[in-house]
Order: sequence, then structure tokens, then C-alpha cells
Amino acid sequence: MISTVEKYYIDVNGTLEWQNTYIVTYVDGFVNYVPHSEDNRHYQEILEWVAEGNTITDNGGGE
Amino acid sequence: MALSTIPTRALSEQGINFRNLIINGDMSIAQRGTSVTGLANSPAFIIDRFSYRRNGTWTTVQYTMSQETDAPTGQGFVKSLKITPTTAEASVPNGAFSAANYAIEGQDLQLLKYGTSNAESLTLSFWVKSNKTGTYVCAFLNVSSNKLISKAYTIDSSNTWEKKSITIPGDTVSSYSNDNTVGLNIYWGLAAGTDWTSGSLSDTWQTSSNANYFPSQVNLADSTSNYINFTGVQLEVGTSASDFEFLPYDVNLQRCQRYFEMLVGTNGGVIGYGYGSGSDTARTMWQFKVQKRAVPSMSDSYSTSRQYRINFTSPDGTAVNQNSSNTPGFGDISVNNSGYMNLSGFSSIGGGQNGFMIYNNTTTAMGADAEL
Repeated sequence: MISTVEKYYIDVNGTLEWQNTYIVTYVDGFVNYVPHSEDNRHYQEILEWVAEGNTITDNGGGE
Repeated sequence: MALSTIPTRALSEQGINFRNLIINGDMSIAQRGTSVTGLANSPAFIIDRFSYRRNGTWTTVQYTMSQETDAPTGQGFVKSLKITPTTAEASVPNGAFSAANYAIEGQDLQLLKYGTSNAESLTLSFWVKSNKTGTYVCAFLNVSSNKLISKAYTIDSSNTWEKKSITIPGDTVSSYSNDNTVGLNIYWGLAAGTDWTSGSLSDTWQTSSNANYFPSQVNLADSTSNYINFTGVQLEVGTSASDFEFLPYDVNLQRCQRYFEMLVGTNGGVIGYGYGSGSDTARTMWQFKVQKRAVPSMSDSYSTSRQYRINFTSPDGTAVNQNSSNTPGFGDISVNNSGYMNLSGFSSIGGGQNGFMIYNNTTTAMGADAEL
């Protein structure tokens, strides 16, 4: 069961760029880096989680 | 002397011709480990390609799934998948079911010629052992067309390995999508509530209805003493089961790695070559052995205690060896590699420093998951 979803940014040549990836933390503590890809089953889980009314955190790479 | 013809033996159905549509049917590959407990979520994997699935709201039941050395004697099998409830549920909630599952890509099912008058029959065979005798149900779901066949099998003797065989007809109406998504889902029922059992079994493909999935299925979840083991799972074209098609271990492993690949820490094991991408951060990449079915999810939560190490040489020639027990991040992942693997927890490593990132213990592990 998903606990939180956050967009993953890294510094590329001095600029924070989103990496087409989400950090997904499950209630049991397991952490997955999930690609923005329709064929990925974890990405499908994210879509269902959002459809249930949850929100993806996007802090632009900040803390 | 060169052969002018291929020996008949090589073409016979008993030779290796990849007639088994199931990967790892002998349960020999278990990259994630040998046991996982407390399965309250779904899907969950321990033996490669086979998963535990549940649906609906259960009150208490949880299972343990493990790879065991228990196997039918004299058949060539040495491993099996075992599923046992660790907390029981005497009465299955109406809307719930639990099952073992195997999923096949649609593009691997085109040989069945579904949706044409030449659609092929399929035969599923497997060895099974349980303390609990009675009626069990296998459900076959064509995900592409949402059509279902459910067929029962009987476990006759408790605590005894038995070989079962189930044949289903081809579907002359509906085809499988020719792509890398799920075409066929096979479910071996473990327990099911009335919403999933109140219909009827079927010998023909019918539009899926929850009530027709698991009619007459026994409740394996009603006691923590219950268990069920499977091995020798084979799905092949035709109306009869042939001998199990054993593959070499390396072939079996590589076929599994299309869906999941684990890089396990061995002391000093190299992950990849990289560079300091910030004052406290190193960046590298894990190149997969096998191209993945789809862009995978990346995680090092498979570690029991993680520690990474970087071996750099500074521009002035000074050797740099630093450790980090932080959790890496992965960005721009692809079907061929982990993308950028970013690890913080170092100091003063930016600015032209290049070197290797390695595992610094045997309990660090990363997984790339592209399962269906």
C-alpha cells in the first residue's frame, strides 16, 4: 500500500531536472523509484492511488 | 561428418523446444530470497515469475510464501513454491479471494492463433501437494479481451505430491494483444468468498464475471496448519501434457531477468564507473544483464543493511575511499540500465573526480522490477 509519492529531481549541470521518476514509499517502508511509464505496474499503482484522491508531492527538487 | 538433417530427437516434443509457455516452472530461480512473510499486500513475489495475489478486503489472513526443497521424488525437480497462511481466516469475506498467479505477455501468445478458426488448445500441467484435500480451481483470464475459463482440479490425498493436468480450448473469437502487456493471467485459487464462487465453471471462453472465477474452491486460509506446494508448472499447445521441459539454469535465470534482476552485494563488487556530481554526491549507472520487458522500477530496499563505497583518484593523484550508508536515488531509468544512480553521504568529491562505485558489504542489494 502506497504511503507517499514524490517527483524525483537531480542536479544536471547545475540545474535541477525532473528525471521522469517518482519516489514511492510504501507503508511497510519499502522505497521504489518508479518511471513515468505506462507499462510499469508500479506506475499503474500510482495512477490508481491518485484516482483515490491522493496527491503527488512536487517540491521542484527542494527539501 | 556434418549432419545433413536435424535428428528427430531434437525436434520431438520431449526435447528442448521452448514449448513451455511458463518461465521458471520448476521453481529453481528465486532472486529475491527464499521466503517472504506477512503477505497482506498484492502482488508479492519470492520465486521468480510466480506471485501471490489477493483481492477484496480480508480481515486477518496473511500468508508466507517460500522456496522449498520439497519436490516430487524421481521427477527431476528439486524446488517448489510453498504458500501457507501465517494468520488464518475461518470464513472468507464475500468480496475477497487469494491466489497464486502467473502472467504471460500477449506477444508470447500469438502462436496460439486466438481470434481465428485455427485457435489452439492449451494444456496446463503441474505438481501439487497440500494437507487439505478437495476441490481447487484454476482460472484463466484473457486480459486482452476480458474473457475467462475456470476449471476445477481435485487434490485427492493429503501430504502427497500429485500431478494435475487441465486442458482449455482455443478462443476462435478473441485474440491477445500483440505487445509486452499481460495477455493471459493464470490464477490457482487458495480461498475465495461468495462474490467469486457463486457462479459456475466453464469449458468455453466467456466474458469475465467475478462469480465464475473460483466456484467450489476450498478455503486454504482457514488454518495456519494448511499449506500448498507447486512445482513442474507447464503450459503448452495441445490437449495433452508432455514431460516437463527442463532448461539449463543459466537460460532459466536470463529468462527471469527480463522481468526482475537483482544485483547482490559481494564485498568489493563493482556497480559501475562514475563521478562526483556534487560535493557530497556520487553518480554511476548499473548496466543490466538482460533488457527488461518495460522500464523497471528501481530499489535498494532489498538490502538488509546497506553500505556503498567509492574508489576515486583525485586530479592530484590522491586516492579517495569513502563509504556511504545512504539510500541511492535513480533517475532517467531505461530498459537497459538503472539510469543515473545518485548516492549522497560523501564529502568533498565534486570537481573532476572519477572512479568506481562498489558494494562494501554482502547485504546490500538492488533490484530492477519490470514484472507484469
